[in-house]
Amino acid sequence: MVEDFGHTHSSNGGDATRFCLKLMAEPLELSWHHCGVTSDFIGEYFSRACPGDVDPVDARHSISYMINEILENAVKFRYGGDIAIDSSLLGETFEIQIVNKIDNETASRFQELLRELLERDPGELLLEKIEENALNPDSTGSGLGLLTLMSDYEAKLGWSFLREHVSEGVKLTTFASLRLS
Amino acid sequence: MEISTNDYRVWTEGASIHYEGTMRLSGTEAYAPILEIMNSVLGSKPDLITLDLTGLEFLNSSGINLFAKFTIEIRKQPDVGVRVLGSKSIPWQSKSLRNLQRLHPALELTIS
Repeated sequence: MVEDFGHTHSSNGGDATRFCLKLMAEPLELSWHHCGVTSDFIGEYFSRACPGDVDPVDARHSISYMINEILENAVKFRYGGDIAIDSSLLGETFEIQIVNKIDNETASRFQELLRELLERDPGELLLEKIEENALNPDSTGSGLGLLTLMSDYEAKLGWSFLREHVSEGVKLTTFASLRLS
Repeated sequence: MEISTNDYRVWTEGASIHYEGTMRLSGTEAYAPILEIMNSVLGSKPDLITLDLTGLEFLNSSGINLFAKFTIEIRKQPDVGVRVLGSKSIPWQSKSLRNLQRLHPALELTIS
């Protein structure tokens, strides 16, 4: 069964500059610092492939921020397995798809959060969530990264949940696109 | 007061708090020692706290949450002013720091 939320399609086709990477769970012992290292590398790679009217410093930072936020979620919530990253650039449109596995309970909680995120204006909801977090010292600030992407970076985000066998968890594909300037 | 790692450095000079490098810590708990430094400056009730971010190249959303929470703490103390210094050459600052001003309109934000 597939359940989609937000923008779950990609527009960059065969002409795009493409870069794929798989973070292997086992030999690498995937951990937090791989998020930053990987996102900086991909940001640097695509900043050198940008068209002339795009600011390469802004491109490098924005791509890196976006990938880091999604990868941090993937590493934090993953249910074993590898993390696959497929990124592409065509003109000013940068797109990424990140695939990882999460457990059923995490998937249900995340879907609940996404329904809230997609219903509201991201800028307003970001401030509301920050105020809520400040009142609750135990709060983890869940969802803030996605809201900053939607509000501050005007990124388009989507999530596709694929459930095949209950015991194997859920395959989550996160779609994100950014218009570079 | 100072915290220094391979990735970042945070230190105080009077009521100014300086940040440098890349802060991508894993969440509220990991940021707690940095918040402690910030709260101790706030605890001394200065007239003006300066957050100098001009050397902070990368910050994740948990870090943005840290600054947002601290801004709300300052907002509770009307006698303490706050000034945030950013840099135009660091793109996340022009995109995300204005949220601090939306939380606390008296916050003075200079991105130069």
